[in-house]
Amino acid sequence: MYKLLLCLRYLRTRYLAFICIVSVMLGVATLIVVNSVMAGFSDKLKSHLNGLGSDLTIRTEAPAGFPLSTPDIEQQLKASAAGQYIEATSPTVETFALLQFTYRTPNGREIPFVKHVKVMAIDPARHAKVGKFGDYLVNSKDDPASCFRMTPAAKEWFDLLRGREARDADQRRQWEEFAPTPQPAVEPGKNIFGQPTPKVDGGDLPADLRNLKPQLPADPAADVPPPTIILGWDIAYAYPTDPKTGERYELQLLKPGDDVFLATVGSSGTRPVSASFVVTDYFRSRYGEIDANVVYVPLEDLQKLRGMDDRANCLQVRLTPDVRESPKFVHDTVLPAAQAIMPRPESHAETWWQQQGSLLSAIEIERNLLNILLFLIIGVAGFGVLAIFSMIVSEKYRDIGVLKSLGASGGGVMGIFLGYGLLLGLVGGLLGTGLGVWITLNINDIEKWLAATTGRAIFDRKVYSFDSIPTHLDALSVALVNLGAVGIAVMSAVLPALRAARLQPVRALRFE
Amino acid sequence: MLIADTIHKTYRKHRVAVPVLTGASLAVHPGEFVSVVGASGSGKSTFLHLLGCLDVPDAGIVSLDGQRIDHLTGRDRDRLRNTTFGYVFQFYHLLPELSALDNVLMPAYIAEGVLSWWGKRAAWRKRAMGLLERVGLGQRWRHKPREMSGGEMQRAAIARSLLMNPRFLLADEPTGNLDSETGDTIVKLLRTLNRDEKVTVVMVTHNLELARGTDRVVRMQGGKTTEEARPAGPKFLSLVG
Repeated sequence: MYKLLLCLRYLRTRYLAFICIVSVMLGVATLIVVNSVMAGFSDKLKSHLNGLGSDLTIRTEAPAGFPLSTPDIEQQLKASAAGQYIEATSPTVETFALLQFTYRTPNGREIPFVKHVKVMAIDPARHAKVGKFGDYLVNSKDDPASCFRMTPAAKEWFDLLRGREARDADQRRQWEEFAPTPQPAVEPGKNIFGQPTPKVDGGDLPADLRNLKPQLPADPAADVPPPTIILGWDIAYAYPTDPKTGERYELQLLKPGDDVFLATVGSSGTRPVSASFVVTDYFRSRYGEIDANVVYVPLEDLQKLRGMDDRANCLQVRLTPDVRESPKFVHDTVLPAAQAIMPRPESHAETWWQQQGSLLSAIEIERNLLNILLFLIIGVAGFGVLAIFSMIVSEKYRDIGVLKSLGASGGGVMGIFLGYGLLLGLVGGLLGTGLGVWITLNINDIEKWLAATTGRAIFDRKVYSFDSIPTHLDALSVALVNLGAVGIAVMSAVLPALRAARLQPVRALRFE
Repeated sequence: MLIADTIHKTYRKHRVAVPVLTGASLAVHPGEFVSVVGASGSGKSTFLHLLGCLDVPDAGIVSLDGQRIDHLTGRDRDRLRNTTFGYVFQFYHLLPELSALDNVLMPAYIAEGVLSWWGKRAAWRKRAMGLLERVGLGQRWRHKPREMSGGEMQRAAIARSLLMNPRFLLADEPTGNLDSETGDTIVKLLRTLNRDEKVTVVMVTHNLELARGTDRVVRMQGGKTTEEARPAGPKFLSLVG
């Protein structure tokens, strides 16, 4: 009984105890806030990454892809064990290409750009249903199906450009750069290194595809509108530094109606093909890797260009909401069924988190590291508790002697100080949880107040695609933080408590 | 009967050994009021601590009713200190965070667990209040030690020492920190308790005048009990002289 009585009494009367409580409280509150904000950012990023693609992708590395109608791969998938979990599908062709365009400066200077990009050939209406593709379109957000159509303003600009002879000449010159040029010194059937050149007649393609000729490009001089393209925002916009002000500014390199050249390989995997595309819109996910490297073109156009009629090399799958949030179920049940409809080894099915595995792992590692580093804060608070407890034990030497002379055991005296540590940890943890949860719930108001007070924006909303600081309060992590804090407080009390327990009553009573 | 036989005790710090007791002996009979007198450093307090199981002798025997108590296990010694011996110290040694009542109740708090305490709480409080009344602090039970005078604190300490109804009350210079008038009151109180409660008192003091009120005076010199006398007898005068 005396242990409980003295723990409570010491807690109420020792101001040093409040220092311990405050240090534990601040440590716990900091950990809760940082954890919640990190988890919030992580959730947002995951949702963002998930939105960039689909939940599940069935992909083949075969250059000619897989047929879409004979057999109907989508029907096969719907008939499989995974069928009941599928909400929508979208066949796509994904390949790499060189993107070439010319930027005309206001004073008429022409600067050619060549970029290595990832081409996604999609049916926009269907693709918008498997992810958040539509949300990231800049101009046709409300009607993703029309994203490849030129607006009247774009058409007007396109016609204006077409009318310029100089532009046509320039196009031809650039076209020549992309067209394969015969190497006079090279032996027929061999490349510049003397190696036999690969077959360009379709190689191992199915017989029906061997004679399929790419239908694009059309003659650049012909008066037919070329196919359209959606560019990643960071391809169409550059952010150079103004030498006068030293500040970065936004420079539009390409606008709707401008044309670009895309050069890639045909479905044989060896034949180079290229075409001119007209810009209709931008794709802005605010995820730099995507915005700077991905372009979207209509599925039919890339199929024609690459000579892969009614074929695709990816099938994007949107899962039903009930299984979308259950990675284990998807991994154990849906994925194998999806994998089974495609022959191995050139084909495989993978989830969005497998595709983004390295980034998600990096986020998780970053979060764990930050947790460890922040836990050191509580560790420091623990040393504070240790120092303060040592002081309290020294201060209480005579009282310990009195208690022992009245019959208290060494274990009992140790129990007082361990209990005291536990109580400090619990009270500090409880107050820290209250403070941490309050800050987490009001973090946006606090940020606004701080920004207004200091005149400096703490959370720059331009950087992120969301308007408020995201938070995610997780009961388990709050409980773990509290458990850790209480554990550290108790562990910090062990040494002083042991010293108190071993104290001889006579020595303690004589202590001055 | 509490007996200490040829007790030796040496305090050591690093390589320096200070022999404090070099063969002190004493037999205390039930109901006696014995005073141990001697100059400072003669080993009186150490002897009292060894009698009351607050310390362990290097050599010699301390026995209670024929049973050795100098080599008991920790738990038995704790129990003995809680129930058989009551202590009164020169500096009162009340716990500053607790009221007079809680200080008096402390031996009971130690003896009882949390659950058993709630069952016996009322009885213990009644006994503690009775003891505070007995020592004249009935109205001061709420007061903290810092709100009491030296004499009041010592009376609260005496009440605390009596809570568990101990057989022996060991008082180490109980008046050493008090003026002579208050000191007299305290010794009279101890005498009254000895007489009425039949508690055996061993009081260490360097004040021979106070020892006059006791049954027997034992003198310590150089770590040994050298002489014994009855306060009324002629030998006592030689001790005083």
